[in-house]
Amino acid sequence: MNTYIATFFMHFGSIRYERMCKAKGYEARTMPVPRSLSSSCGTCVKYTASEPLYDPDHDEMEQMVICNDDGSHTRIYQAEGLELR
Amino acid sequence: MEKKNDKLFIIIAGLVIGVIAAALAFAGNPKNMGFCIACFLRDTAGGLGLHKAPPVQYIRPEIIGIVIGAFVAAFAKKEFGSKGGSAPMTRFVLGFFAMVGCLMFLGCPFRMILRLAGGDLNAVFGLVGFVAGIFCGIFFLKNGYSLKRTYTLTKSEGYWMVILEAVTFVLLIARPAFIAFSEEGPGSMHAAIALSLGAGLIVGVLAQRTRLCMVGGTRDLVLFKETRLMLGFIAILVAALVTNLVLGGFKLGMVEQPIAHTDGLWNALGMLLVGFACVLLGGCPLRQLVMSGEGNADSAVTVLGLIVGAAFCHNFGLASSPEGPTPAGKIAVIIGIVVVAGIGVLNTYLKADTAEPARDAA
Repeated sequence: MNTYIATFFMHFGSIRYERMCKAKGYEARTMPVPRSLSSSCGTCVKYTASEPLYDPDHDEMEQMVICNDDGSHTRIYQAEGLELR
Repeated sequence: MEKKNDKLFIIIAGLVIGVIAAALAFAGNPKNMGFCIACFLRDTAGGLGLHKAPPVQYIRPEIIGIVIGAFVAAFAKKEFGSKGGSAPMTRFVLGFFAMVGCLMFLGCPFRMILRLAGGDLNAVFGLVGFVAGIFCGIFFLKNGYSLKRTYTLTKSEGYWMVILEAVTFVLLIARPAFIAFSEEGPGSMHAAIALSLGAGLIVGVLAQRTRLCMVGGTRDLVLFKETRLMLGFIAILVAALVTNLVLGGFKLGMVEQPIAHTDGLWNALGMLLVGFACVLLGGCPLRQLVMSGEGNADSAVTVLGLIVGAAFCHNFGLASSPEGPTPAGKIAVIIGIVVVAGIGVLNTYLKADTAEPARDAA
């Protein structure tokens, strides 16, 4: 099992995504984006699953990271048309 | 662990900002107005001749400092980036009406805290309205409100706000004849330029690092039971209150408070409009300034909306005075609440390309 954090452009994106995770039986919760991940003040969903979950129907996801054991993050997805550092 | 440090940092930042903000009022700024993003954008608009209200014309270095401070902090941490493209005109209109609400109350959410810390009980009405407005905004957030995503823009786009602030600073120093300086009234009261600029820079850096936001505190508490931003809000209040008590700036009551009126209903409705518009924008006026310094063009457009709103308020007599709100101002606030609610509805329920939330919940 891995822990992932998906960040969103607007709040409702994360609310919808959290519902999607829970519908699949994943443990998930919506929260403010960790400061270490972004200077923006959006919301994110932290969830535990064996595979990352994508939602091709909506373009609300900004980025997704996998949480490493040492507390760092590795980015596994970023929205098109967006350069993240 | 990170979370704990995060909270400690925002409390310390809030305390520092609170002390600076209260102390600035003793260094020359108007009372309970060490900082006020709305008032200072309004004064700056006046200084640049966008409105002709003689008592409120002064290019405020605090604003310049906040934007440049946020820029420096973001740049140093490689967080600066040109972004935008998320409903800019909608944000302009929201910024415009947020200012109409601020100038009904006579202060932005930041000054609302400082007024509370100065013992001005009129701000309690403002706070009640503000929280009610945030709840109105949250209603839409929970039901699918979205202004759509942002994109990375051309590199130069993000620098414009910083350049404009730098140019404005040159105008302040050079004092050419076309720049107005109030000779009496709030605009004539100000700390020394270097002091104001320094205070702005510190607040800009701290606000960028902590993502401090006056509406974000209540929003996150309600939406996620997350207290971090609220702690910043409370820290500013406590620090400013203590500073006022020590320096003798605390006067409890409603009557004859500095640059305030006693009409409770309209203080509340003004701040309701501010809270509502700012939740739909995603941040209070301070946060918009900070994000404009981080290269966010949408926030820069919002700041322009705030500035144009301020100019309209004084050109058309919408802004309140210590005597109270004006009839035109009341009409403008009502129009503002209707328009902001309309923006909420349009971007929540009438989006052709958004699946209805009920289906996803199933």
